[in-house]
Amino acid sequence: MPPAIAELVPEHIRAFEAYTPSRPDPDLMRQYGVDHLHRLNNNENALGPPPAARKVIEAFDTTRSAIYPSGDCYTLRTALSERFGLDPERFLVGNGSCEVIASVIKAFCEKGDNIITADKTFAVYEWVAEFSGFEARLIPLSNWGFDPDAMLAAMDSRTKILFVCNPNNPTGTWWDRDTMERFLRGVAGRAIVVIDEAYCEYVDDERFPDGMELMERHPNVVVFRTFSKMYALAGLRVGYVCGQKEVVDYIRRTHIVYSVNTLGQPAAAAAIADDAEHITATRLMVAQAKGLLLPAFDELGLKWVTGAGNFIMVETPASDSLMYRHLMRRGIMVRTMTGFRFPNWIRVSTVQLPVMQEFLKALREVLGIVAGAQA
Amino acid sequence: MPASALSQHAPPQLVLELPAETAFLPAAAAAAENAAQVFGLDAGGALRLSLAVEEFYAYLCHHAGREEPIRLTLSQGGTFTRADFRFRAGEVSLRALNFAASVDLEAGEDAELGLLVAARTTDRCGLTRSGPDVFHLHAEVDRVYPEAEAITTPQRLSPPLRLEPAPTAGALQHAALLAAGRYPARLRPHSFARPARFADMVAWGQYQALLALDAADRPAGLLCWRASGRRAVVFSGPYVFDPQLAQDTARLLIEGFLARVARTEVLCAFSERPTNDLPRGWFESLGSLSLHGAEGSEPVAQPAYFRHLREDAGAAVWAHPDLFPFLRREYDRLAFSRDLLAAEPTPPARLPVHSLLATTLDRLRSLAILRPLLDGRDMEANLKAHVEAIHEQGTGDILLHLDLAEPWQAALFPALTACGFVPRLVLPHAGASDMLVCQHAPGHS
Repeated sequence: MPPAIAELVPEHIRAFEAYTPSRPDPDLMRQYGVDHLHRLNNNENALGPPPAARKVIEAFDTTRSAIYPSGDCYTLRTALSERFGLDPERFLVGNGSCEVIASVIKAFCEKGDNIITADKTFAVYEWVAEFSGFEARLIPLSNWGFDPDAMLAAMDSRTKILFVCNPNNPTGTWWDRDTMERFLRGVAGRAIVVIDEAYCEYVDDERFPDGMELMERHPNVVVFRTFSKMYALAGLRVGYVCGQKEVVDYIRRTHIVYSVNTLGQPAAAAAIADDAEHITATRLMVAQAKGLLLPAFDELGLKWVTGAGNFIMVETPASDSLMYRHLMRRGIMVRTMTGFRFPNWIRVSTVQLPVMQEFLKALREVLGIVAGAQA
Repeated sequence: MPASALSQHAPPQLVLELPAETAFLPAAAAAAENAAQVFGLDAGGALRLSLAVEEFYAYLCHHAGREEPIRLTLSQGGTFTRADFRFRAGEVSLRALNFAASVDLEAGEDAELGLLVAARTTDRCGLTRSGPDVFHLHAEVDRVYPEAEAITTPQRLSPPLRLEPAPTAGALQHAALLAAGRYPARLRPHSFARPARFADMVAWGQYQALLALDAADRPAGLLCWRASGRRAVVFSGPYVFDPQLAQDTARLLIEGFLARVARTEVLCAFSERPTNDLPRGWFESLGSLSLHGAEGSEPVAQPAYFRHLREDAGAAVWAHPDLFPFLRREYDRLAFSRDLLAAEPTPPARLPVHSLLATTLDRLRSLAILRPLLDGRDMEANLKAHVEAIHEQGTGDILLHLDLAEPWQAALFPALTACGFVPRLVLPHAGASDMLVCQHAPGHS
């Protein structure tokens, strides 16, 4: 009798839970009986892409979809090189930053190695490490932020990568330049330090450390950035890694070529060509949304956490999954935070004021229902 | 050493392939007795398992298919030894696999050989199905552990509290005795009265446990949980040892518990023995069951709580139209979006003559759980026979689970009501879809 399929699967894969993305909007709207759905769950930029990127998308020549994309994103890497004044070989582009996370882990980890990150941060570092069979050492947040000393204390000779989400998703906290420098000196080149700057364009503070500059003094630093957040190209899936040439060369050996599509590459290149106004407008939208929501949360007696980024975490008096269901019945989709290890918190993306007002109205109704049920 | 370290090792087991011939009865019984002793049962326990194996095997020799051998797996579960018979039903009537079915008197067999009776020497047993005609009949006998006296001395503990994620066996035993001193038996696992058993259950992965400690590393609270299928866990607790710190302790334990299960394959957490210290707002009330328990006293309402660990994408479930009002009310109250699909009973002419029910018996809890495995024209009579037989052998509480992903199961509802079952709870995502829990309530038949 041949072995069961499960017997062919490594133990760490059998124990792993596949990520289940949400269903398409039309399905969800039908299921929840609503005629519209505001997606406030993925921290997408509701303003849409910058004008230049929009033009590229609108002008896309459909015959090009028959041709393979540039396998190594040559033009986009050249655009990044011009933008940051670095050799194009120091950039590696992936199908969203999730792909480059996997490439970095594959490049540096082998059996028995570990990675270090926080317990309450973007889950993909931990997931990729675990389904690749490596230990993920999870350090509790301190004061809602990454704890540099505890991360350093958790290092041993088998620690290969430390992931720092700066600013942190979902708390919005970030390390300033001094903290980051002190941390990097503590690591002292013993392991790769990945600084995930997915939300860096939302920070308007001169104390915020620029990973691109840090890697010049600390060759073990690798920076992740994405076009999915500020640049509103999440649907095209483009993210990249930047590091010293030698480091990127090792990562490239594990990386899949041709993974970034033909439309995403020029749209991303256009997005950074002229982004100043777009960034200003987005920051204004986020500030206005927070200006509306934060006092309202205070008035409702809800604890909240926010910082850099287009999102706010709110503690709810009921299970986050129950809040989600009630809000969905009102056409509002938020992110439940149990999976981030913040049970009874939801995360809401900050978008235009009319949608934020609709969210607040729905939230008030749901809080009334929940209070009635608990009475 | 953390108490959970043992669970990393594969438990030892002994596997035999036996032809369905009574001539091998002594071989099966001897193997069971020998394995049970090697796996840690005392002589009495080994004999009980050996008797169960003998009775089950004799039964299967008459009723299992002969296309392939019966596979008997004897395994150590840490605190118990398990005998599992895997067999094909083949061309033999499946009716005989019902626990309430007795053997045909006209064929000259002993009417006392129904599986229910054969199960009397075990602590738990049941029938499950793993393929179209592949079944498993299993029996478990527990190791004997010494009973210990509960600690009733009031605890005065000092904050700050912290969680101990990998408690030692000694710490777990201490905490179990503190819980036994503060909470009635129905609100805690039986093993708390035999704390070495509880610690072994954690060591072997039957339970997972979180311990809260105070500033002086004294036990401040305990919460434990176990898997229920692949996608759910059921928890007992939280148990808190200093009433003045109850709120903080309970919240710490619940937060720690959710953090542990949140990024696993677990979809839902259900309460098994929720205490009054369960903090408000963390779980949703699904309703309650009225259970007599092993004491056989007046029934006590046992509330059921639930927490979904994912975002619900909505679903469709099957239901008999008579169930629509109950389901609509429950789904609306819980804000679950569900399409109700009407499941009508299959016309009798298209059904096989005999139905088949899976029975799980838990002697310690005096609880029987029925699950329909195959529909048949005799379903109502079969259910009645099961209810009578289960009551006759002294089990007080009978639940029946219907998986609402299966239209034929959902369509059984009229047959259930005719036998005195009433719908009590909907357990979201507890089966292939949602599970309906019905309870036998004699006054309703």
